[in-house]
Amino acid sequence: MSLRRILSFGLVWMGFFVYGQNKQLVYDFVEIPQSAMVNPGVETDFQWYAGVPLLSGISLQAGSSGISVDDIFADDGLDINDKIRDRAINGMNPRDELSGTFQVEFLNFGFRGRNPAHFFTGGIYLEGDAIGYWFKDYAILGFEGNADKLNQRFDLGHFKTRGELVNVFHFGVNKRIDSDLTIGGRAKVYSSIFDFNSTKNRGYFVTREGENNLLVSTLQADMALRTSGLNAIKDAYDEGNTAATVTKRAFLGGNLGLGFDFGLTYHLNEQTVFTASLLDLGFIYHTGDVRNFTLNGSSTIEGIEVVLPDAASDPNTDFWEDLVDEVEEFVPFEENGDSYVSFRPTKLYASLRYNFGETIRGRGYCECGPDPGAAANRNRYVNSVGGQLYAINRPRGPQTALSAFYQRRFGHLLALKATYTVDKFSLTNLGLGVNLQAGPVNFYVVADNLLAYRNLAASQYTSFQLGLNIISWGPR
Amino acid sequence: MKFLFKYMLLCSVALATLSSCVESQDFGQYDEIEVTPTLEASMLYVEAPESMINEAPSNYVFSQNFNFDAFSYDEFSERVLDGSVTYVIENTTSKPLDITIEFLDEQDNVLGPVDTFEIPATPSGEQQYIVYYGDAGYSIDIIKNTSSIRVTAVNRGDNSSISVEADPKVTIKSSAKFRVRLK
Repeated sequence: MSLRRILSFGLVWMGFFVYGQNKQLVYDFVEIPQSAMVNPGVETDFQWYAGVPLLSGISLQAGSSGISVDDIFADDGLDINDKIRDRAINGMNPRDELSGTFQVEFLNFGFRGRNPAHFFTGGIYLEGDAIGYWFKDYAILGFEGNADKLNQRFDLGHFKTRGELVNVFHFGVNKRIDSDLTIGGRAKVYSSIFDFNSTKNRGYFVTREGENNLLVSTLQADMALRTSGLNAIKDAYDEGNTAATVTKRAFLGGNLGLGFDFGLTYHLNEQTVFTASLLDLGFIYHTGDVRNFTLNGSSTIEGIEVVLPDAASDPNTDFWEDLVDEVEEFVPFEENGDSYVSFRPTKLYASLRYNFGETIRGRGYCECGPDPGAAANRNRYVNSVGGQLYAINRPRGPQTALSAFYQRRFGHLLALKATYTVDKFSLTNLGLGVNLQAGPVNFYVVADNLLAYRNLAASQYTSFQLGLNIISWGPR
Repeated sequence: MKFLFKYMLLCSVALATLSSCVESQDFGQYDEIEVTPTLEASMLYVEAPESMINEAPSNYVFSQNFNFDAFSYDEFSERVLDGSVTYVIENTTSKPLDITIEFLDEQDNVLGPVDTFEIPATPSGEQQYIVYYGDAGYSIDIIKNTSSIRVTAVNRGDNSSISVEADPKVTIKSSAKFRVRLK
């Protein structure tokens, strides 16, 4: 198999078999600076921090709700065509979700303001996000065709996908309101590199017994595919300047958008904490390099129909061309450059945490002065246990996950967080996160669905996230 | 003791990561994937009333070429493997007819054998004929090179009788069913 084929196959596989990243391990893991990225209202005690460029936050998640690499490519002696038919075409349904997210931080920093109750964060990160639902009826048509399937409607709505590559510039503020409540908000400017979406398709294709002829084929379609940026990148690729074009589009030279994150942390009592955040409440307005494609209309045909003698009156009649013209007239495939708005996949997190055990002295620098509540530097407990909720807005409605977690701190050096997550894809998702603080150097790595590491190819879900930061807690 | 515990944990995590494995996969199976759907649709419908048969100057009722590019699109002709064409002919006129179907290339040359169907006079009901192409029938090249179809009807009876059936006519229905290789 050629390298190109392997790469193409890998990209397709990754593109279709990864799904939206639930960062349940980093969420509310307050020792990790990147926890502010999933909750702007996180309780933080840093004086400042700076992520190591390109290494401060790398995350990738891969999975599938319906099938794994092993299901198809296991060296098990079975015919691969049988495996595809049984496990993919007949084994998956249109709600099986195939999507994903990755992020790479270019820049990430945070610093405490003159008012120590304020903590500011900012940075730039690249995010790719894609989702595709299993296009079951298209797959049946593609693998089996429509023969001997009279009256079976092939649902065109099974094609539902969206994806984008976007560079995000962000700046946020985190404010400790009092010793119990911390809130935060973040503004984001999105610079879209490319975008595609086709999420509101409707219609069907059906073959029935004909009225005049033997069969009648009906196509009723209301479909649209909207894209931006793809053409510019294709042209750049042809001209050999892909990197320059992508960079330009990433740094405000593409289509722009605006978004916001919100979050809070609230102490219900000394040991019980509630947190919540809403991320990527925003949109991108696509005005440049837009290419949209539509297929809209209805047509029913029974082949060429010739009723003599009238049909023979004009010897130049081309019945075939008339048929093609009729279909194209009633179901026109059109292209336009109309601007459009795409909404970001908004995410919601919430957690309830109970802290217990010994306490560890807070590391934050505290010039408490006359207003100790405004700069409270809470002690932490060595143990935390709780539950988290995650939801992300997807084309077929919200996708949710529930996690239970246990967190253990070993002084200021090491913190661990273990999670058990249940969602529509997996009931056996165990995750583990490790945060290591060696002086000012902070390193963290988290991995999900650890049981799947016994055979990665059979995993329907694998993810990891890691990062490297420098942190200061100010003068001691 | 605490330090020992910490480092044991770290080592466990490292070991878990290093011991992750992938069972044997054979990506060469990709080359064995066969995507060969069978597609089916109506092809041609021709109808001629008995009055036209009676009024024909000779026993050749009609002979007409119909442009039919469906088979000649590269997307089809380069991928078609085998299949069949089904004809259902109904004759409610009072005379027997010979119906000939010919597949022609772009230069109107006849491709392969010619199928002539002898249709009795009414009441003969629907006559069904299935012509196979590919390994089990005529050469599939006939289909690949078809640019038009010629239909000829020859009257084997008189040209004055009138059928007792209501709206007497001959109808030729046809559909195509072919397997194509997408991969």
